[in-house]
Amino acid sequence: MTDIDIKKMLDGCDAVDDYRITEKRTESHELFFVRGRLETVRSTDTVDTDVAIYVDHDGKRGDSSFSVFRGMSEDEAEKKIASAAARAKLVFNEPYELPEGAEFSGEIENDLSGLDLKEAAGVISGAVLSAEQQEGCSINALEVFVYRDTVRVINSRGVDKTQRITRADVESIPTYTDEIGSFEIYHRMHFTDLDTDRIKREVSKKSEEVRDRSIAEKAEPAKDVTIVLRTEEISRVIDELTYGLNYADVYTESNRWGIGDAIQTSKDCDPLTVTMKAAVKGSDLSAFFDRDGTDLTDVTVIENGTVKALWGSSRFGQYLKADKPTGLLLCYSLEPGSLTESELERSDYLECVSLSGLQIDPFADYLGGEIRLAYQVKDGKRRPVSGITFSTTLSGALNTLRLSGRVVTDREYEGPEYMLFKEAEIL
Amino acid sequence: MAFSRYLNGARGVLRDIVSELGGTFSYVSVLGTDVRSLVVRANKNMSSVTEGRGECGFVVKLHDGKSFFEYSFDELPDDVASLCKKIIDSTKIPSSLADLSISAEAVADLPAREDFERTNDFSGYSDSELLSVCSEISEETVSRDKRVLNATAIIATYETSKLFISKNRELSQNYGWANGILEVVFKDEKTVVASKYAYSDKMSEIISQMRELVGPVLDLAGHLTRATPIKPGVYDVITDSSISGLIAHEAFGHGVEMDQFVKERALATKYVGKPVASDLTNMRDGAAATVSAASYFFDDDGVIAGNTQIIKNGILVAGLSDLASAAQLGTQPTGNGRRESYKRKAYSRMTNTFFEGGDSTLEEMIASIEHGYMLFDTNNGMEDPKNWQIQCTAEYGIEIENGKLTDRYVSPVVMSGYVPDLLASISMVSRDARVIGVGSCGKGYKEWVRVSDGGPNLKVKVKLG
Repeated sequence: MTDIDIKKMLDGCDAVDDYRITEKRTESHELFFVRGRLETVRSTDTVDTDVAIYVDHDGKRGDSSFSVFRGMSEDEAEKKIASAAARAKLVFNEPYELPEGAEFSGEIENDLSGLDLKEAAGVISGAVLSAEQQEGCSINALEVFVYRDTVRVINSRGVDKTQRITRADVESIPTYTDEIGSFEIYHRMHFTDLDTDRIKREVSKKSEEVRDRSIAEKAEPAKDVTIVLRTEEISRVIDELTYGLNYADVYTESNRWGIGDAIQTSKDCDPLTVTMKAAVKGSDLSAFFDRDGTDLTDVTVIENGTVKALWGSSRFGQYLKADKPTGLLLCYSLEPGSLTESELERSDYLECVSLSGLQIDPFADYLGGEIRLAYQVKDGKRRPVSGITFSTTLSGALNTLRLSGRVVTDREYEGPEYMLFKEAEIL
Repeated sequence: MAFSRYLNGARGVLRDIVSELGGTFSYVSVLGTDVRSLVVRANKNMSSVTEGRGECGFVVKLHDGKSFFEYSFDELPDDVASLCKKIIDSTKIPSSLADLSISAEAVADLPAREDFERTNDFSGYSDSELLSVCSEISEETVSRDKRVLNATAIIATYETSKLFISKNRELSQNYGWANGILEVVFKDEKTVVASKYAYSDKMSEIISQMRELVGPVLDLAGHLTRATPIKPGVYDVITDSSISGLIAHEAFGHGVEMDQFVKERALATKYVGKPVASDLTNMRDGAAATVSAASYFFDDDGVIAGNTQIIKNGILVAGLSDLASAAQLGTQPTGNGRRESYKRKAYSRMTNTFFEGGDSTLEEMIASIEHGYMLFDTNNGMEDPKNWQIQCTAEYGIEIENGKLTDRYVSPVVMSGYVPDLLASISMVSRDARVIGVGSCGKGYKEWVRVSDGGPNLKVKVKLG
């Protein structure tokens, strides 16, 4: 069963008013290393086909979706269509239109796209394993995944779009061992640009940090601590602030903030300006269109600390009367701020390097996390600390935050290298 | 759903693939999966009845006396020889990589042939009945309190068929599980989101549990609007079954996944046979240990499901392994080899993980605390098997004062610390215990599988913030 077979069946089905077929073919080559030795080699070649059908009835629109597997017979596919049509008739949702006809085929350009997957996995694993390591450091576990995804969206309104991306996902566990003990930190990289020098630099930096975890001391409990976050955690904060601004959450009233709401109320902070984007250079989440086939349009959702716009799928955008729904955007940029390196050098702060996971709850107004490694900077001296947690209110952090002027990219994030906020408590 | 007709029809081709590849590799197995899911949802704005995330495909696992190889595909070939050639080609690696290969022991392929089934009542409920249940529950929740902005009721079923074939083994299994969720968005002094869950392998029980969630979720939402942040500190704490399970899972479960032993990523390696917790502590994991979200008959390596005692009277007894890690460690696999799907690698994974019950009552435990908190409902957690740091987040806590629960709620509550300190601090364990069948677990930040965890109420001393 292919997407073309199912399209023919749907075109001939009177019970279905509209349909959308999303086919994702994924090929991969994967290498799994254990303490520098190759344990497992994997390859995959699979296709996922998701079909959504739409039935208009009683002035409403119902929908239902199902998967088509390659082993499925025509008989079974017909039963699935009939079952989905019956399910759609049970559903009474407000009407909406599917994206209208356009043909498109494109590839997210990057250095990996021209390479054989096996070759790319070999080059990446070679770069990680040959990166300069501190004495006593090793990579105890390394997993390298190189994927080539080809996504095609077809619908009953003439959309036929295809996009291809080749991407890498690398999980490495740098470890430091001495007579006192053994320590590790978690390190993961996603990219589409094959830059072996950058890979080596990142792995070497993690080697230094895991060595520092081995000598990290427990910081004393303190209040009014200034916290500095790096890009991975800044990205988590931005993700949390923007996720609730999608049309679907607003439509179902599950959102914390809406258009016109001030996320920051203080003038003594760098104001947040966030743009949801279709693409960030080197990101594996860059795309031309979303799962519905809607072309992606960048939108500034937060400007100078106030919500200016929403984002999301065509359907929920139509429900909210959006002029042009943006599509489901997965990348974002954050405008740089006023924090200079010299100002940072003069400050006392706690720079978080490795957290168990940043905990953010906009409803409960909470921001915190358990710190596995941080650098405590005081009077110009820098010492590694561990075994502590920090907590503060999200509103307090947003109203004291400062953003560095230097812009970097990290997967879906493009923006300041550092975010600083005040008045946290550590325990 | 009975066992997958598609997989049944694939047996001959899969046997041919095993036979053909057996000419090149010392061990060959193939796992076929056919997982179907239905998700029914209703809130005041919209509803849906749709298939959930399922899968249907195959993964071949190979061992050449040194390394392991896997190949995932989703279309049965007309020409077995051609597919096998493609698979063999995929295992060819440059000599620079081949030189780095491990040398794992030969994999045992003990004879076994059996078909397993755990029946369910899902087919007795039509789509419209399930949608009516969700709609009624959503409407009732919205109508009971004008502060409710929206209420979403969801019922999801998962029906799994798996077929495992190697030279000496042919196993099939078929089982189901269902979850229900009731989530409210509630606005009073502030807006909050509160959720409660249902779980069972019987739809009749899911529906009955869902109907009983309306009152508790509204009560919780009302309290959460007045909840305050907790003052960071070290407290005496009583855990509910969900938080006990979270501790079992994050504090120790991940640390005894034995693929981490192979990678020298687990501190637990050095503690087998030694005390790791208070002597009141007993902990188990196993797909066969109870009937819950992660109960199966054989794992994704074709190993019969286990019931492993991990901690006995405070002593670390054993870990959990998949086929590849057991082969490298020279141990027997414990039936814990699990994949996110046929497209992903098998790792050592937890299944149903829980502390066993003790001698106390919950009332005695609360009465024993002058000032502290009782913590409820898992939000999330993160493991650190190498250095035994722990972070677990509870949805909320209730303050205990002078041996009594107060009406003062705190939310959210992040519990953190050093695992041995936490487990050594267990000073009371309740008789009653419950396994919560709604979990999802990643390894690091990926490879998601469904799990359950739970146990009795525990009294511990821990850092909250």
